[in-house]
Amino acid sequence: MSLLQTLYGIFSFLGHYPGYAISYLIETVLYLIVISLFLIFMIYLFRKFMARLQLRLGPNRVGKFGSLQLIADALKLVGKESILPKERDDLPYRVAPMIVMVGLFLAFTILPYGSLIGIGSLTVTNSAVTLVLVFAVISIMPIGEVLAGVSSHNKYALIGALRSIAKDISFEVPMMISILAIVMMASARVPDSLSISSIVSAQFLPYAVLQPLGIFVFFTAMVARASYTPFDMGESDSELVSGYSTEYTGMRFAMFYVGLFGSILLGSMLVSLLYLSGYNGPLSTDVGVIWLVIKAMILVLISFTVWLSMPRIRIDKFVNFGWKYLLPISFANLIISGILTLGLGW
Amino acid sequence: MSELMQLNIGPQHPSTHGVLRLKVKVEGEIIREVEPVIGYLHRNAEKLCEMTYYCDNLVYFDRMDYVASMNMEAGYLEAAEKLLGIPPPERAIYIRTIMNELSRIASHLVWAGAFGLDLGMLTPFFYCFVQREKILRIFTEACGSRQETNYFSIGGVYQDLTPEIVDHVKAFITEFPRKLEEIYNLFAKNDVFIQRTKGIGYLSPEVAIQYGVTGPILRASGVPYDVRKAEPYLLYDRVNFDIPVSKKGDSLARFLVRFEEMRQSIRILGQIIDKIPEGPFFNPKAKKPLMIRLRGDGEVYARTESSKGEFGVYIVGDGGVKPYRVHVRSPAFKNLSILPVLAKDQMIADLISISGSIDLVFGEIDR
Repeated sequence: MSLLQTLYGIFSFLGHYPGYAISYLIETVLYLIVISLFLIFMIYLFRKFMARLQLRLGPNRVGKFGSLQLIADALKLVGKESILPKERDDLPYRVAPMIVMVGLFLAFTILPYGSLIGIGSLTVTNSAVTLVLVFAVISIMPIGEVLAGVSSHNKYALIGALRSIAKDISFEVPMMISILAIVMMASARVPDSLSISSIVSAQFLPYAVLQPLGIFVFFTAMVARASYTPFDMGESDSELVSGYSTEYTGMRFAMFYVGLFGSILLGSMLVSLLYLSGYNGPLSTDVGVIWLVIKAMILVLISFTVWLSMPRIRIDKFVNFGWKYLLPISFANLIISGILTLGLGW
Repeated sequence: MSELMQLNIGPQHPSTHGVLRLKVKVEGEIIREVEPVIGYLHRNAEKLCEMTYYCDNLVYFDRMDYVASMNMEAGYLEAAEKLLGIPPPERAIYIRTIMNELSRIASHLVWAGAFGLDLGMLTPFFYCFVQREKILRIFTEACGSRQETNYFSIGGVYQDLTPEIVDHVKAFITEFPRKLEEIYNLFAKNDVFIQRTKGIGYLSPEVAIQYGVTGPILRASGVPYDVRKAEPYLLYDRVNFDIPVSKKGDSLARFLVRFEEMRQSIRILGQIIDKIPEGPFFNPKAKKPLMIRLRGDGEVYARTESSKGEFGVYIVGDGGVKPYRVHVRSPAFKNLSILPVLAKDQMIADLISISGSIDLVFGEIDR
């Protein structure tokens, strides 16, 4: 029994197709709300965590322990005047932050979340190609960043967008090759190895143990995908003011900001699904989503620590790093995984 | 790609340390030409000095290098006391040396934190500022003010240093070295930081001397020149300390030299904090009502080592109660002049880290 089936049970009087359509729609909207709230919680966690690392207190005025601070900030951003640059390219300028958000939230609806007692499976779609679909969808996000940079007609934004492109090209190839190793390893045990849930069930041992190089490349790529320090050359607030989002204010800026945290969460979820056996864990299988969230949150905290302790890498150094180190490492990982799969039958 | 794009960095920009404006011509990411534009914080301090009494001019000097205001006061008084012929008593000299070195440490801590921010490191900034806060607390106890202290006065200091404050200074110099190593490790043990600073912004000793660069930047280029040794003032001929020198000349060398300087400042403080002599803390000739009647005649130039470099003050007196002309040799202004040389053919990211490594304070550059 899954959440979708429960919803369909309510709407089945509409007939087969409309019933499923409505159920899908309601479930997706539900997820968007839950994930948005979770992202707000994550930003609060980040600020508290950052404050602890930096010998500060963090938000502590609005609500108990500052818990309502983020709500207040969100309301402030909603209420802000949206200042549009005069020379902008209107349509791309308005659409760009939405593209980032659409890419992000679409990816969240494709992920499998395991199950929870009383609700059943939380997975929305269980297509055989969810892995491909997720990466296809998150590849939309850079388009939004580039559009934002080019359309706002600002030199800082333009340089930021160019850096973003250079960065994306140099980490995406190693990332894809490290995923290839996972698909290869999973294909020895499960039939449809392009589905994330099959990959999770194929992990008799977490793939992090079998492919330590793979998780290194993939996690690095996810850091670069989310673009926080050390890999935030696209924004690089001390050099390019705010990079491609320089000319954005109010809610549009908040979309980029939420996109950043969403990318961190998405990256952590993907790492825990693909490398840390996702929603599988000890105890009952009915609490899968809790395992997933615990694993993802540990990775999120690791990401925050990296973010707060590293200086920014220069863009040319990063391109070097991507092509000269990450790519060979991911190939080595592919070969090692191949040997493990074929030779030892793992 | 032969066409250059002009990029205007500042005066409102996150990493221009106040109000520096850089007109930059870039070819993609590579910088071909940099032209610093200054004057956005010009307050006419030198001219204002001609309109007030000798004893009141200190406030303008406080506001020059506002992160190391005691250094500025020491520089002005070095010249003014020579001109007016009012030497400070021994106790005041000790107090001034202590405050001078504390101020130098505070200034270098601000620099280190801001340099980290320029490179995208958020965390060390707060570690630096927590330590700086302890110094500022000592300043507050001594004179009631945190940054623009106005603590020194002609012929001595404005208030005596109480035994409690001396105890606080002692507590600070016993615990600070450990904290300093902590901050040092936050930077120096980070590979990315090393990658961003090593070999970046190389300054050869010849060019440094040509441009009149002084202070930690000159010493990082291998020239062991420090006014505290070359022309000792206050107590510097009576204490042991080394001039940290590095031959590398890059941003990393500047970082290391500044951190070593903080350790040497602690060494100086440790030597003199127990030896403060009893006695008056100001020269009776410069008592409060008499102060404004002090007349200076002739001209005098005095130089001191501020946290940025050689700080020179030139005062001409015409026999009146106000100086005829005051001129300041600002170290940060001279140091800024090498930015176009260092940043040429570097990347935009490096321009920011180089300008960060120079330690610019605009109160002093624009005056």
